Amino acid sequence: MWSMIMRFIPSWSVLLQGGFIIGFPILLTRAMSWIRISDGRLGTRTRKASGRKGGGVPAGIQNGAEKDQTHLKNRDQGDEASDQSQAVPGMVYSGRFAEDLQLFKNISDDMADINLRELRIGSLQLRAVLFFVDGLTDKDGMDRNILKPLMNAVRPFEGMNTAPEPQALKDIIVHQIVLVSEIEYTRDPVKSLEKVLFGSVVLLVDGMAEVLILGTPKGRTRVGEEPVSEALLRGPRIGFNETLSDNTAMLRRQGQNTELAMISFTVGKRIQKELVLTYIRDIANEELVAEVKRRIRTIDVDDVQESGFVEQLIEDNFLSPFQQIQNTERPDRVMAALLEGRVAILLDGTPFVLIMPVTFGMLLQSPEDYYDRWYAGSLLRSLRFLAASLSLFAPALYISFISFHPGLIPTRLAISIISSRQGVPFPSLIEALIMEISIEILREAGLRLPKPIGPAMGIVGGLIIGQAAVEAGIVSPILVIVVAVTAISSFSVPMYSAGITMRFLRFLAMFFAATFGLYGVIMFFLLLSSHLLKLKSFGVPYLGMIAPNQIRDWKDFIIRMPLQFLRKRPALIKPKDPRRKG
Amino acid sequence: MQAKLKDRITTTEAVIINVNYVLAAGVLTLPRTAVEAAGTSDVWISVILCGLLAMVTGAVIAKLSQRFPGRTFFEYIRFIIGKPLGFLLGISVAAYFLSIASFEMRTVQEITGFYLLEGTPSWAICALFLWVALYLCLGGINAVARMCRLIIPIAWGIFLGVSLLSLEIFDLNNLRPVMAEGVGPVWRALRPTALTFTAGESLLFLVAFMDKPKKVMQVVVGGNAIAMVFYLAAVVLSIGAFSTDGVITRTWPFVDLIRSFDVSYLVFERFESLLLAIWILQIFCTFCIAYYGAALGVSQLLNIKFKHCLYGLLPLIYIVAEIPRSINGLFMMGNEIGNWALIVFGILPLPLLVVAYFRRAGA
Repeated sequence: MWSMIMRFIPSWSVLLQGGFIIGFPILLTRAMSWIRISDGRLGTRTRKASGRKGGGVPAGIQNGAEKDQTHLKNRDQGDEASDQSQAVPGMVYSGRFAEDLQLFKNISDDMADINLRELRIGSLQLRAVLFFVDGLTDKDGMDRNILKPLMNAVRPFEGMNTAPEPQALKDIIVHQIVLVSEIEYTRDPVKSLEKVLFGSVVLLVDGMAEVLILGTPKGRTRVGEEPVSEALLRGPRIGFNETLSDNTAMLRRQGQNTELAMISFTVGKRIQKELVLTYIRDIANEELVAEVKRRIRTIDVDDVQESGFVEQLIEDNFLSPFQQIQNTERPDRVMAALLEGRVAILLDGTPFVLIMPVTFGMLLQSPEDYYDRWYAGSLLRSLRFLAASLSLFAPALYISFISFHPGLIPTRLAISIISSRQGVPFPSLIEALIMEISIEILREAGLRLPKPIGPAMGIVGGLIIGQAAVEAGIVSPILVIVVAVTAISSFSVPMYSAGITMRFLRFLAMFFAATFGLYGVIMFFLLLSSHLLKLKSFGVPYLGMIAPNQIRDWKDFIIRMPLQFLRKRPALIKPKDPRRKG
Repeated sequence: MQAKLKDRITTTEAVIINVNYVLAAGVLTLPRTAVEAAGTSDVWISVILCGLLAMVTGAVIAKLSQRFPGRTFFEYIRFIIGKPLGFLLGISVAAYFLSIASFEMRTVQEITGFYLLEGTPSWAICALFLWVALYLCLGGINAVARMCRLIIPIAWGIFLGVSLLSLEIFDLNNLRPVMAEGVGPVWRALRPTALTFTAGESLLFLVAFMDKPKKVMQVVVGGNAIAMVFYLAAVVLSIGAFSTDGVITRTWPFVDLIRSFDVSYLVFERFESLLLAIWILQIFCTFCIAYYGAALGVSQLLNIKFKHCLYGLLPLIYIVAEIPRSINGLFMMGNEIGNWALIVFGILPLPLLVVAYFRRAGA
């Protein structure tokens, strides 16, 4: 009887191991929570702690509760009101100056790039105002041909003491003052807004119910060059530049849309910079927009030097190796993201625009997938997925097969690998580490070198060192192949920052493989998946594409279905208007 | 505030969790245990019968859970049979989930130790497995559900491919004659099959998480039907390749089946590494579901924070897993767990449902 019970009592070593099994994760969790607590103490990140949208916005916080955030402009306070004013149908200009001005301000409320210029016309001192978009309008021409004649107009009004009738006034302005060839008239505020966004100048004069649309659009002064970090064979050759107004103008050009909102913030405590949050009003999820706004307000640093600062300060999980905000230099990419219901942040002084929320699939997609026909798009995408997984797991699989399970390799291949490895004095982990680290050094060095020297470095480093290392018997030729394939695969990831994550995780996978073999690789995969499954970017599950709630999100994941089948926006982001209008 | 019951899963997710819970180590061993009991090749009929039976018991459990929307078994059991008895039954169910988790982990340890890692200490293998599972389960039922969804295309794709390839050595004559010795063998194989094929218990807490609890019958039928196909494929293919005599002599017949053919025209000649890889993924899912269930039970019965339960159960699972001294001990343990499941989940839910009906407990 006693021995029966004794059989079930675990031995001391088992108890000890059990203690270790619980001790390690508790220590790790403690360490993590300590890091998070100190982050909360030092930073402002914890203010996004509760709620649904990865933090969420408790009701009524937007306008009232954050009075201490003095650095935000007044402009974005009013944007909740704008939706109601938008909805009034059939509104027209009345001819009463103050009302009309307010009307236009209301409908253009969250478009910070629309400028107002108030002036007095000629000797009569009539009140008037010009609306234009910075960066789209020819400012020189406007000054010379519109502002100056209007302000200097004395002769046309000779002998008048009061303002003439609206019709007469219009005739005088058009016929005698303004030096612009294209002129249109309208009483419709929305149409005038459209024209402003198109680059025209709109003139609103006291007493006139019709506004004058003066055509002065011009191209931007500096042409954006093709983005270096995201080259495409097919697609627009234009990239953002360092001027915020140019960039917003570029986005306006991408899509002629009165619903494209641009909300301006000022960030940085000592050196203030302008930051523009942009989204499409009738697509983007309100909760998401509110959450992004709130996080922007929590930014509390001296100087936001680059959009990378914004990215790091507002992302969900700073301990995760994966980027939760995408950066891009391409206006078309930003526009496509906006149309899917995402939001973007532009910062003055950098060509890199941030797109959020990000899902894992986006990191491996390129705009070209949509510009080419769907076969090409789908095949290239699957290729990229294959390449990404290769670059993550190839060295780890090499290590696990060589050191732990040579029996699982096909016999003939195993023989040739073993025979080529005979002279190698290191275990496979050290061997792989030598080659992987040297190729990472090469890559980093090549990046910093001036352009003409870069390729030479590649040849010296890649070819000669690899060849010499094999001949010296330090590494096996098979490994050189594996490392080369890995390196090339990692270049096929369209996002550079995502590539860095892969590089870092590859080393982790190698250590797992070196300790646990194939089992370790599987566990690493599970660990990675667990992390990604739990990770959220602005409340949107990161792996949402791979394991979607609705199968239709798969239509645009690895396979890119023909465009006519992609009739709905990704359901994951919960856009206001789920259908792409056809 | 105990476990987060505000998490919701869709019907599809519930089906997937159910399938993943049923599909586990059993696929690798069922051909042997069933044929040992039956002695003939008719076990595939038992598998089908068992699948149908599991649907019935699953339906009873589902009906029971449906009476208490938004509540797990551990919460509603005391409304049916009173607090002390309910507490005892709840603890025994939680303990059952715990021992299932232990069993699955020990299986991984044995398979890995046997096929993949001969020299590595077994506690290290377990520790890694447990830690990753802990990390996943801390994300709640949604993380577990998504993990199951993520694994399904990989695991099922490879399973299907490997099964098709094994048709090369399949011999239909090994499965004939059908019912040569009458229904006796089919009947005898029913018990070992049922042991591996208990399906309903995950519904005890799954239904509480479903966003549309009305559709729970889909989960029962869909989950069991899909799982049945896998078990059927494993049994039929193994017997077809090895004949009944061959199956009995192999510890893991299905793994051996995959090992026993070479495909020289593909990159890999042998596929057992792939099969083992996906089967570890699959067992990981089952483990996580059982682990989650056990922690949820303890948390709700004893009023402890759910996360603390997850941590606290880790060493317990390990210690229970280490009780069997050998692989035969492990199989005995599996048998005992199966017997226990037959009583608790096969027979008991029906009287519970009747009692609940007459006491008008629940909706």
